[in-house]
Amino acid sequence: MAGDSGISGRRSGHLSASVYFGCVGLVTLAGTGLAMLARPAFGHDMLQWIGLESVPQAQASSFYAIRVAPLFETRCAVCHGDKRQKSDLRLDSFASVLRGGKHGAVIIPSDTKNSELAIRIFLPASDDRAMPPDGKTPLTEDEKTVIKLWIAHGATGSLRDIPGAPKPVAEIVIPELDLAQVEKKRAPLVAEVARLQGRFPGVVAYEAQDSADLEINASLKGASFGDADLQALAPLAARVVGANLSGTGVSDASAPVLATMTRLKNLRLSGTKVSDTAIRALEGAKALRSVTVVDTKVTVGALAPLRARGVTVYGDGDGP
Amino acid sequence: MMADREDQVCSHLDLLKTQSDTRRHFLGWGAGGLGALFMNGAMAAPSGENAPLNFNRNPATPLSVLPPQFPAKVKRVIYLHMGGSPSQLELFDHKPILAKFHGHDCPESFIQGKRLAFIQGIPKLLGPMFPFHRAGKSGTWISDRLPHLEGAIDDLCVIKSMKTDQFNHAPAQLLVHTGDPRTGHASLGSWVTYGLGSENQNLPGFIVLISNGGTTANAGKPLWGSGFLPSVYQGVACRSAGEPVLFLDNPKSVSRDERRKVLDAVDEINQQTYREFGNPETVTRIAQYEMAFRMQLEASDAMNIHREPKAVLERYGAEPGKTSYANNCLVARRLAERGVRYIQLYHWGWDSHGTPVDEGLNVGLVKRCHETDQPTAALLADLKARGLLEDTLIVWGGEFGRTPMWENRGGQEMEFIGRDHHPNCFSIWLAGGGIKPGISYGETDDMGYEIAHNPVELRDLHATMLYLLGFDYRRLNYPYQGLDQKLTGVKPARIVSEILA
Repeated sequence: MAGDSGISGRRSGHLSASVYFGCVGLVTLAGTGLAMLARPAFGHDMLQWIGLESVPQAQASSFYAIRVAPLFETRCAVCHGDKRQKSDLRLDSFASVLRGGKHGAVIIPSDTKNSELAIRIFLPASDDRAMPPDGKTPLTEDEKTVIKLWIAHGATGSLRDIPGAPKPVAEIVIPELDLAQVEKKRAPLVAEVARLQGRFPGVVAYEAQDSADLEINASLKGASFGDADLQALAPLAARVVGANLSGTGVSDASAPVLATMTRLKNLRLSGTKVSDTAIRALEGAKALRSVTVVDTKVTVGALAPLRARGVTVYGDGDGP
Repeated sequence: MMADREDQVCSHLDLLKTQSDTRRHFLGWGAGGLGALFMNGAMAAPSGENAPLNFNRNPATPLSVLPPQFPAKVKRVIYLHMGGSPSQLELFDHKPILAKFHGHDCPESFIQGKRLAFIQGIPKLLGPMFPFHRAGKSGTWISDRLPHLEGAIDDLCVIKSMKTDQFNHAPAQLLVHTGDPRTGHASLGSWVTYGLGSENQNLPGFIVLISNGGTTANAGKPLWGSGFLPSVYQGVACRSAGEPVLFLDNPKSVSRDERRKVLDAVDEINQQTYREFGNPETVTRIAQYEMAFRMQLEASDAMNIHREPKAVLERYGAEPGKTSYANNCLVARRLAERGVRYIQLYHWGWDSHGTPVDEGLNVGLVKRCHETDQPTAALLADLKARGLLEDTLIVWGGEFGRTPMWENRGGQEMEFIGRDHHPNCFSIWLAGGGIKPGISYGETDDMGYEIAHNPVELRDLHATMLYLLGFDYRRLNYPYQGLDQKLTGVKPARIVSEILA
């Protein structure tokens, strides 16, 4: 059959299969070539696909990776990313940013005036072509400037610093609350804390839900909270990072307990009977940041070493 | 003894609850339980940042202290709200170029297509009424109207780029204090007391002090309402003269013992109601009666500024027996010392339109400055001296800003000088724990009309305040109407890290 058709094809002037498919191949190649010339983005895609051109990558330490990419990722990629590709534009990788969308490149290196992306982000929110479009939070002036400077400096993935770029804003990262981890940290003291919380309601509390450190606030108990009570909290002393004993009945007799609170950051002793002895007990509390001794017998002399190591002292320490 | 009583109430309620769980309940729960089993599989457990924090408390002690999510910078808030909205252009936002254009017609772009509260036609530009200068080591700009506050200028962080989307007082105030311009949302103080409880169980955790009440709160009590949160977290408005809390004292000829007996009887009835309907608000009510009973002693003492030394009274300009902002500032310090979580001051009369004389920038604003300047500065200094400023956050501000244009109500020239409501930009200041002292943040344009740099939305302020109190604003939420309700609403907020120490 195949032979027959081949012979009859030759007789009637029909093309052979190889010539036919050869022609189709050439036409396809020519079409692809023209398409590649007409749409450079498509051309790059093709060349990258067949491995003739490497996919552009940005260096991890580049200005693009540190300053620009996070903006595209958080502010643009919702519509121009892996889930949606409005106008066929993706801004979630360095290659796709340079590639552009269905209307061509959105970034022309070193030419902010003709870079569609740079134009659009500076349009007023009322403009239909403004990006991000209305209803979305506009980019801040600093963010716009960062993108513009990056394009103006060649839109590269290697440049590290751009002079005059606005300083990055420190973003607050709040760690996830890992309850299992917290439970583990609290395990050695949890029974003792619960017991003492029962004995002194409202006095002992964890510093935070994510912490195994403790805070003591006996100030509302007034004079009824004395040295013996503070002594009862001694088993937890090493975990106490904040203690408010203002207005309580504690005195210098509590100095030994205070000395064991080596992780104290803040201590309040206003309106108590403490004097220099109690203050000297704080030598080991290296993390101490502030001490409040308004209306006590504590003297300037005893406070001097604390002040010398940067502890803030409230209360003049000149005695009552 | 107090704690014993709470335990009793609680265990009694638990017992009643158990007894009232009948077979019908069991079957009801059973049917629901099947659904729950299905939903459990269908909808994966919330994870990541949406996982709820634990706010469970003993229902008899709804204000008991709960630790924050992470270690906090501040333990309490004093919010000084200047009702009516002071003019930023007369106090903190220095605009020399606006001064040059004083008296010129305002540019058309300022009013074209915009809706202003009262201005009509083409108003004239109004330059700053008072001279400005740099103050303190920080060189922060301030006008000559706040000489006392100037002494504390290096403790302040002035934000000049606050913005809002409301230009009428009531919705704008609601937005400031509840995160939403409509009523029905929980106020900041309610969120904070819900999240953290209060150190002092004999006082409300959220106290509101009002002065210059001739013009009262435009938005009224919803400003300190608890919205969808349990009502025990709403603010309690106290008076600075006479009885601090109305109807708290026993009527004449009723002794404290008799009061106790009445309360016991009411509690019993409330417990019956709870047994019947199981509504947690009933437990809240029981707890509130109990707190009111304890407050009879403590609140009077906290509000009583007679006991303050004369020198202190003079520093604040406080006069016992009067209702004044100065008295309220002093009370605020006493409440802060006593472990009250959220202290809200309102001082009214800053609405400087220039219509009546007391609303003139040249008269009313001057008076308001005079009434508030010394006490505010005294409060800052007093808290600092007592070591309380390091874990107290103070916020000062109005609900929006004022226009750089001279108000021309009805297209007429006004008898007194005033400015209209302006939501586009206004100035506030913060001071205290976790705040970077002695800085200015954000800028407005040369005319003081729009924000030029670093805008701060109210939800950003809220997120920042909650951060200082130890919460991720996304995690301090409460389920209501199918949504995890948040103070910041559904739009993304930003913690303004640049103003944090």
